[in-house]
Amino acid sequence: MGTTGIVVVQKVGGKSTATRCFSTYPLKLIIPTKVGSSKIDVVWIYSLSYGGGVVSGDCISCSINVEDDCSAAFTTQASTKVYKSIGSKISGQILEVKIGKNAFLAVIPDPVTCFAAARYHQKQVFKIEPDSNLVVVDWFTSGRHENGEKWNFEVYKSTNHIFLNDEQPLFLDSVLLDQTLAVGGIAESMCNYQVIGMLIFFGPKLKCIQSLVQDKVKKMMTAYYLTPARAKISPSLIASCNAFGLKETGLVVRIAAVTTESVYDFLREQLASIESLIGAAPYC
Amino acid sequence: MVGFEVDSHLQWSQWQLLDSILPTGGFAHSYGLEASIQTRIVTGPEDLKLYVIHVLDNIGSLLLPFVHNAHKSLDFESWSKLDRWLEATMTNEISRKASTSQGSALLRVATSVFAEVPHLKQLRDIALSSSGAISFHHAPIFGLLCGILGFDACFSQRAYMFMAMRDVLSASTRLNLIGPLGAAKLQHQIAPIAEQMVMKWMDRPIEEACQTIPLLDTVQGCHAYLFSRLFCS
Repeated sequence: MGTTGIVVVQKVGGKSTATRCFSTYPLKLIIPTKVGSSKIDVVWIYSLSYGGGVVSGDCISCSINVEDDCSAAFTTQASTKVYKSIGSKISGQILEVKIGKNAFLAVIPDPVTCFAAARYHQKQVFKIEPDSNLVVVDWFTSGRHENGEKWNFEVYKSTNHIFLNDEQPLFLDSVLLDQTLAVGGIAESMCNYQVIGMLIFFGPKLKCIQSLVQDKVKKMMTAYYLTPARAKISPSLIASCNAFGLKETGLVVRIAAVTTESVYDFLREQLASIESLIGAAPYC
Repeated sequence: MVGFEVDSHLQWSQWQLLDSILPTGGFAHSYGLEASIQTRIVTGPEDLKLYVIHVLDNIGSLLLPFVHNAHKSLDFESWSKLDRWLEATMTNEISRKASTSQGSALLRVATSVFAEVPHLKQLRDIALSSSGAISFHHAPIFGLLCGILGFDACFSQRAYMFMAMRDVLSASTRLNLIGPLGAAKLQHQIAPIAEQMVMKWMDRPIEEACQTIPLLDTVQGCHAYLFSRLFCS
């Protein structure tokens, strides 16, 4: 599969600069200059798709290289819609990222929404250094659930791999939802939840925000568990924090929610303080 | 005659490995059941069957590749690679700690019980002397142990699912969700479904290890937030 997008961010005259930005159908990458505060040194990269979604059989392969001491944010303008698969063709997106020493990348997209009968594979590989900094949001919804389309896609697979110093496995996560493999179907395993998400933090620049997020989530969930059992129904948003890596330097927050809007609210709140790193608050 | 003796000897060892009397600490874990009850995802005995099936599916897809590959090569290098890979794969902190505490208990117990197999003790000694190189995750140790004791690959993966089912059903009785007879009946009902899952996930490379029930993982991660709890995970 050919590469459909490449971005290289390097220091030019002391500023993070996109020294290379290439994209070809079905991917379009744009680098707007005025996303946030001009005082913050960061390159914003927007990923757009033609026709607002991923069509059956599309293969999008993108690489981003954030060199030493640079900062970048990678985002979308709207949710990634994956249309129904024709002739069991799989659509896929691959993202390969390299982050240099003391560099920072935030991957903060809108969710992936697989329509009924869609088949979708996504793989994101991050190669980082011990002092690289990374924020990744990866989330998906049950489909057009307001139209009654709940977990009706055929296959959704998402892989997020983080390797330290090129080949040391630091975080290896894969989710596979396959209608034909799932005992009793995907919808049944989701109870009434329509959105599943994950928020990953790694690196010295994110140490403070990590402990803030841990405290907030703990407060929210312990408040729920303290309510007497008889009066209780499942929470409309569940979140849990897990440290990972040697000396627990990374943090992953897992989220399950009934509405997409509640996850936007959650992400907006938890990620507000990375504004100081990327010049604008995410999801605002 | 000799073949028969070898075979009967294997059977005694297999039963002992799966016997709940083997003190490996499996019964300290509910596989997220306690958190799921308190999150009102499991509200009564009628939800339990599906819950157990989901736990087994997630274990099959995530951990059977590690049991299988540890069984395939019984040397320290391969084991340590699998252990490191699994350490990065178990991104759920609660499950990760449950896995390493059960794994180290299993290896310690097996080394003293199956004392006639020197290879076990050798591996454990290397692991203990190479500080921090091994986290002692349960699935690879179980596969390794089955391989060293001469059990076949299919047995090791089916047995792994059996133990998980045994432990989660045992937890369900102690959480007063179901009585001991009800649990035994459920175990028998789920067995054919568990067998389908073994067939579905067996003999896979570790690169294919994945989660199939993401909601379960989110809820299992909430175990530490529970106000009162009986189990470690």
